[in-house]
Amino acid sequence: MGSNNDSTVTKKKASSRKPKGLSNLAKREERLALRLLLPALLIIALIAFYPLAQVFYTSFTDRVFASGQETNFIGFDNYRRLLSVHVTTLDPVLDEATGEIMIDPDTGKEVYERPLDVLPREPSRFREVNQFSLFGNRYVIGATDPSFIQSVSNTVVFTVVSVFLELALGLAIALVVNSKFRFRGSMRAAMLVPWAVITVVSARMWEWMLAPSRVGMFNALFDWMGAIDSPIAFLAAGTYQLPAMIAVDVWKTTPFMALLLLAGLQTMPEDIFEAAEIDGAGKIRQFVTITLPLLKPAMAVALIFRTLDALRVFDIFQVMLGQAQYSMASYNYFQLIGNRAMGLASAIGVIIFILIFGFAIAYIKMLGVDRNE
Amino acid sequence: MNKRSSPFNLIKRVAFNFMIIFILVYLLFPFYWAVNSSLKTESQLFMTPATALPRDPATLELSPTLQNYSAVLQDGQFLRGLANSTIVATSTTVLALIAGSFAAFALGKLRFRGRKPALYLILAMTMFPQVTVLTGLYAVITALGFPARISLIFSYMIFTLPFTTWVLTAFFKELPDALMESAQVDGATPFQTFRSILLPLTAPALVTTGLLAFIAAWNEYLFALTFTSIDPSARTVPVAIAYFAGAVARQEPFGEIMAAASLVTIPLVVLVLIFQRRIVAGLTAGAVKG
Repeated sequence: MGSNNDSTVTKKKASSRKPKGLSNLAKREERLALRLLLPALLIIALIAFYPLAQVFYTSFTDRVFASGQETNFIGFDNYRRLLSVHVTTLDPVLDEATGEIMIDPDTGKEVYERPLDVLPREPSRFREVNQFSLFGNRYVIGATDPSFIQSVSNTVVFTVVSVFLELALGLAIALVVNSKFRFRGSMRAAMLVPWAVITVVSARMWEWMLAPSRVGMFNALFDWMGAIDSPIAFLAAGTYQLPAMIAVDVWKTTPFMALLLLAGLQTMPEDIFEAAEIDGAGKIRQFVTITLPLLKPAMAVALIFRTLDALRVFDIFQVMLGQAQYSMASYNYFQLIGNRAMGLASAIGVIIFILIFGFAIAYIKMLGVDRNE
Repeated sequence: MNKRSSPFNLIKRVAFNFMIIFILVYLLFPFYWAVNSSLKTESQLFMTPATALPRDPATLELSPTLQNYSAVLQDGQFLRGLANSTIVATSTTVLALIAGSFAAFALGKLRFRGRKPALYLILAMTMFPQVTVLTGLYAVITALGFPARISLIFSYMIFTLPFTTWVLTAFFKELPDALMESAQVDGATPFQTFRSILLPLTAPALVTTGLLAFIAAWNEYLFALTFTSIDPSARTVPVAIAYFAGAVARQEPFGEIMAAASLVTIPLVVLVLIFQRRIVAGLTAGAVKG
């Protein structure tokens, strides 16, 4: 890491300066830094401070959106409602006559107690989110707000899978476009097309392509290839919903990743590669030992902003799945606009904020972007 | 540079071209499908199976229609939306690049107390979902009495400013300190160094962040919908498209939406074509050898 060494050198130089000169210089530098930061800080103060502070405050109240109803301070109640999760075992139901586990005659599977009977009802009723089996026992996950817990798991799975795919694809595309070939310029413009299509419209476009009959491109194509017997309801069937969202998002935002990585590749000094070539390092070796480490800062920023956007994903879930399956942000929208539960919606916002902060810090630490001086 | 591209053998070249074609098909196919749909009439859209080109339902002969395009272009809303989007997205990008590159220079190259908190503060600005900040932002905009377009430009700072600042900070940081020092030895003030040496060197990063921020502002929907609700003449393209009610009540004009989407994507592609040279023009040989 070149700049690491560079900066330690600078530090040594700075400390060997005369103490008086240093403090003057440091003061000048500090003043300049503040002046340069001023426009950005002013914009934050003007436009972001109040809305963000309001979200934090409102999340502790029962405020109703667009109404004159009195607002009460309710402490952590919103958070408790959103985040209360309870996991418990489900016992199998025994056949009274034989004493053996009852088998459902229709499905041929073992019958277990109803989750509602075992999940707690206090302080408010827990409802089933999901069931799973582990070591021969059957468990049920219950929550006071199952839709929210489901939306968190949807969003996290969506984020991890799509950001990973976008990074892999984006890196491949950036490397291709970075090498020299005839139509490189047009290719660079073409590659931005998915990102340029208006998000709301692109969601409609995909909805159309994924239509549950042969009106849709995919069903027509699969049918033509003979891959399916009957049309697939991509957006209505639970198993395809999340993969469809991921496919749409990967298509739409890979250009974003690719372009940022390309800029990172472009600012790399040529002479390092020339030196490596002379030293006899192969292309793969050059990629692993030079390109990747030098690309880390660009990659970190690209990852942070992609993850941040993915965790807040709204448009495609809202347009394509509506109330069938939520992302955190589309659930947030539903609570605010549909239920007018502004306090609860704000609490969801704060939870998303905390989650994003966690991801951001993890990236910064992992990729070492924060190392300075 | 030339040295590296010369020893390509035939197989490599074929594989490489194959990869380019694969990437292009993957990235462009859905857009092609949008253009295809935009050239179809209502009845052609509902043909089963869907056709890869607009064909006549009875004879299956090629019969594209431009009716969707003429409907879109006759709609004054759409053209005004195009103008509004251009004004808003351009101003947003310029403002975010200026404020962002200033801040990024301080955060990436200068030493001062509170550097890290400032970095995180700026990022924190964009960590809430848009829906959540909407009501608070609306209150701020109303209190300041901004007209609709200005309020859009400022509210778009919420997602563009952290982005430009962070990307540019990362790029400034990678520039060798020796560059600044040698300029200072020559008697340049830090700000002169920034303007005449660091900025040109990071041109690829500036153009890239500028393009990405421009498109993000161009495509934004939720804020635009909310803040233009009192002033319909300020509606941007995404909102204008959403208001295509269609001639027939409750009938969604899908062909028109696709025509509009195709029309607004083209200027963006042209924009990228113009600026893309800059993305590569960044480091001229020898510039960092200093």
